[in-house]
Amino acid sequence: MGKFVEHSKLKICERCILPETFPGIKFDEDGVCNHCKRAKSINAKASEKKEKYRQRFDKLIKDTINKAPVYDVIMAYSGGKDSTYTMKLLKERYALRILAFTFDNHFVSPLALDNIKKCADILETDHIQFRLPWPAAHKIFSLTAKEDIFSAPTLLRASSVCTACIGFVKSIVLKTALEMSIPFVAFGWSPGQAPIQAAIMKNNPDLIFKAQRAQKKAFPSEIKKIINHYFLPENYFEKFKERFPYNIHPLAFFKYDEKQIIKELYNIGWKEPTDTDTNSSNCLLNALANQRHIERHGFHPYVWEIANMVRQDIISREEGINKIYSKQKESIINFAQERLGL
Amino acid sequence: MIDIKKKVRAFIVENFLFGVDDELTDATSFLEDGVIDSTGILELVEFIEEEFSMSIDEEELMPENLDSLNNIELFLTNKLQKK
Repeated sequence: MGKFVEHSKLKICERCILPETFPGIKFDEDGVCNHCKRAKSINAKASEKKEKYRQRFDKLIKDTINKAPVYDVIMAYSGGKDSTYTMKLLKERYALRILAFTFDNHFVSPLALDNIKKCADILETDHIQFRLPWPAAHKIFSLTAKEDIFSAPTLLRASSVCTACIGFVKSIVLKTALEMSIPFVAFGWSPGQAPIQAAIMKNNPDLIFKAQRAQKKAFPSEIKKIINHYFLPENYFEKFKERFPYNIHPLAFFKYDEKQIIKELYNIGWKEPTDTDTNSSNCLLNALANQRHIERHGFHPYVWEIANMVRQDIISREEGINKIYSKQKESIINFAQERLGL
Repeated sequence: MIDIKKKVRAFIVENFLFGVDDELTDATSFLEDGVIDSTGILELVEFIEEEFSMSIDEEELMPENLDSLNNIELFLTNKLQKK
């Protein structure tokens, strides 16, 4: 089994939890990293900014709701706590007509699948599941577990496996939204995953076109052939130019309290899976993806997100350390490894 | 005169290129050359808003404005003149 980096053997930022192995990091004489210093003034204005985004979101929903043919929003629904809570919020607070979309990568925890069915029923939400054929899933995930095919900056924020998987999710939900004239695409990203600027963002066709081209380019030609149809066809960029939806991730501007979220979710029948790692409540491939990333890069692929949450005082530094520097269960890693034949 | 390119370059090099800027020219496409991904572009927007005390509207989030150092300089110069 590969190396595990114990935080007691690493120098980590005294304010957040970024380690000395994080590329380009610098510490001052107090042991505080350059990212914490830069974030200080941004975080000082965070609550004011969140309120502005919330008001903007309320207005946008008011102006848009019930105008689309069938659904107001397509929700990228993994069954994890964040996407379930986001869906609950969109349903209960905003009464949106939701189409929940689950991407089955063959590693969705059975407990998460139970949560998906249960919560979609309770929230009276239409739900579709998109299942990648196993030969394609096997090729894509064994490759990305073994190699880094994406650009180095991308890998600062997520593992190769996760980048591939979420890339398909983003593409397929966008494609569905365009085809069905759905004005919003919702994600359950935590406030640490992306800056608030991403929380309400109209998709720009030219930007998506360039990002998609870069992503496709990363795959070797034998895989490119089998995944091409998951991406937006080139004529969509012109054909649906006026129909590009907003991406929304409301958890960026609503109060994010993990314990409270789990409590509220329990009330609608959601249960915390016990078969996943500390950073996922739905995926059985994540632990292996994290492990391989740590072996190759010397830092955890979730450390950027969790460090952001520590800086924003959403979770304590101690909780952050537990999430990132706890040893993962070997059984979860071995399960994915064996499944992929690695 | 604010040195826009210098400030933005320093941010990108520190945050996305691990301190090495050998291949980052003024015309490098951030998205196509894998310097920054689509989420990274928004981190860049966050930096620009903070550093240059301005707000970037969603209609302005397009490659013509943000996908290279040259594009950013042109975009911000025009925007700052209108302030």
